[in-house]
Amino acid sequence: MRLFAYYDTGHEFSEEIVMAAGFTPYKILGDVNVPNDPADRYVHNYICPFSRSCLTEGMARSDEWAGIAFCHGCDTTNNQYDIWKHHVKTDFLYWINTPAKNDATARAYHEHELRRFISHMEKHYRVDITDDKLSEAIRTSNSVKRLMQELAKLRPVKDIPNDAYHAITRKCVQMHKDDLIAALEKTLEEWKNRPAFPSDCLPVLLTGSDMTYPEGMDILEAAKLRAVRDDLSLGERYFAETISEEGDPVKALVDYHARIPMPPTKIPFEARLVYLRKCLKETNVKGIVYQILKFCEPHGLDLPYMAGELKKDGHRLIVIEREYTPTIDQQLVSRLESFREII
Amino acid sequence: MITVGIDIGSITTKIALMEGKKLLYTDVSLSGYDMEKAWQAIYKKMLERTGKKESDISFLVSTGYGRNNVSISQKKITEISCHAAGAKYFFPKVKAVIDIGGQDSKFIRIDDTGSILDFVMNDKCAAGTGRFLEVMARALHVEIDDFSTLSGKSKKPVTISSMCTVFAESEVISLIAKGENRENIIAGIHDSIASRMISMMKRTGVASPVVMTGGVSKNIGMRKAIEKKIGMTLNVPEQAQVCGAIGAAILGSG
Repeated sequence: MRLFAYYDTGHEFSEEIVMAAGFTPYKILGDVNVPNDPADRYVHNYICPFSRSCLTEGMARSDEWAGIAFCHGCDTTNNQYDIWKHHVKTDFLYWINTPAKNDATARAYHEHELRRFISHMEKHYRVDITDDKLSEAIRTSNSVKRLMQELAKLRPVKDIPNDAYHAITRKCVQMHKDDLIAALEKTLEEWKNRPAFPSDCLPVLLTGSDMTYPEGMDILEAAKLRAVRDDLSLGERYFAETISEEGDPVKALVDYHARIPMPPTKIPFEARLVYLRKCLKETNVKGIVYQILKFCEPHGLDLPYMAGELKKDGHRLIVIEREYTPTIDQQLVSRLESFREII
Repeated sequence: MITVGIDIGSITTKIALMEGKKLLYTDVSLSGYDMEKAWQAIYKKMLERTGKKESDISFLVSTGYGRNNVSISQKKITEISCHAAGAKYFFPKVKAVIDIGGQDSKFIRIDDTGSILDFVMNDKCAAGTGRFLEVMARALHVEIDDFSTLSGKSKKPVTISSMCTVFAESEVISLIAKGENRENIIAGIHDSIASRMISMMKRTGVASPVVMTGGVSKNIGMRKAIEKKIGMTLNVPEQAQVCGAIGAAILGSG
């Protein structure tokens, strides 16, 4: 089945629509091991390096994809649409303007945007995206989300390295869903038989910018910190909620996106705290690691308020500024070890 | 009980030898490229100068970025804990520590028992660290040790607005090209580092007494710039640069 790529630094894109159109949704995640040239010719190098890596991937691989859709994962994604239009070869490039607010008007607008996207897909690919097909796609998505919920529950109790969890979150957004479900079922059986949570590791909540490559988790592992909860887009944001299988499937998708853990691009920014506080209440973590990818503006702007509120709640919190690199940064490992020592 | 602390920083390696609570010996040398060679040399020199044998040493703790390179270390502790312990050794009532080293600047809050409540560190950029001062000294063609005296002669410190070391260097070069007085530029550099430190301090809340440790504490101009901004006097131990190694030796004695 042909891949349909989407560029969304959050979890805004409704994969179910392209599944219903007969494609496999593929989230563009760039490649940290590939230099950001040629993207750097078109995007200034003070712009998020991950977004430039995505453009590099888009320029190199767009011929493998049936089309590309954009969502407002963050302002950088949004504003790169025109750049992609000029420099990425594709027959179908579509921008879905997902709203920042979460009220009745915003939801009505979101529904309108999704229906408009469906209509463009139907016309371009000469397919019918029926309610039945959408409902089937929703059921498949929910199977993935439920399996991920089961897998995530094992993080605080079993010996599951940070990169192992990260690897399956990546698979969720890039693999064909039938293959994915089989892979997740196999992983679940394997994880259930793993040894108990290692006594020399500390459980933490990981929040902030998504690090989109498994090596990005190595600094936590080196400092013997295990992320057992998170609110990341490659993480719990993707599977914390399921989609209603009743009624109008497009409305169900809109409703789903209004309920999931909120990213920093949403208004008001207090909305993000709701899910973080829920995680902290549900799971006994020893601290919070708040990572900011260099030049990640939404998280940079959220940080002072969010970190302040979480500290006021009495949580130990460390902020680390991450580079977009596969190399372990010993300076950051050292800071995380200091954090571990004070805990 | 004789304990040793070795602190391998990005620029210098420090060593401290203690017998119980008595500080017997300290030394500082350059870390260089080979951290293993750096600690071995300073350790050998310490044994020679003090007449102690390896068998006399009950416990050795290493700290700093190169702590994992000290093969004979019995415990590795991060510099946050060690600087706090070192500061408390000199000033038992300390509530906060400012440490500006080669590639890090830190603000550490301590409770009455000496436990660390919280800490904040500079972001990845070297601005606000000893390395930043070195880069600026090079741009200004002055020795880093002269920064203190020269900034004291400033009549009107300039404002350095760039927060990035590379950009700040360009800004300084532009100021030199404009004919700005060198003393005023150096005082402006101190003010810019002090401003960054104040922002960090405000993230955890300022508490006093404050102790300043790390190599940059030797720079009186820098100290004065911070004192002016926080409105309180900084306590600076005579052995401020070796505070991390002293703290390591203290923590080694349990």
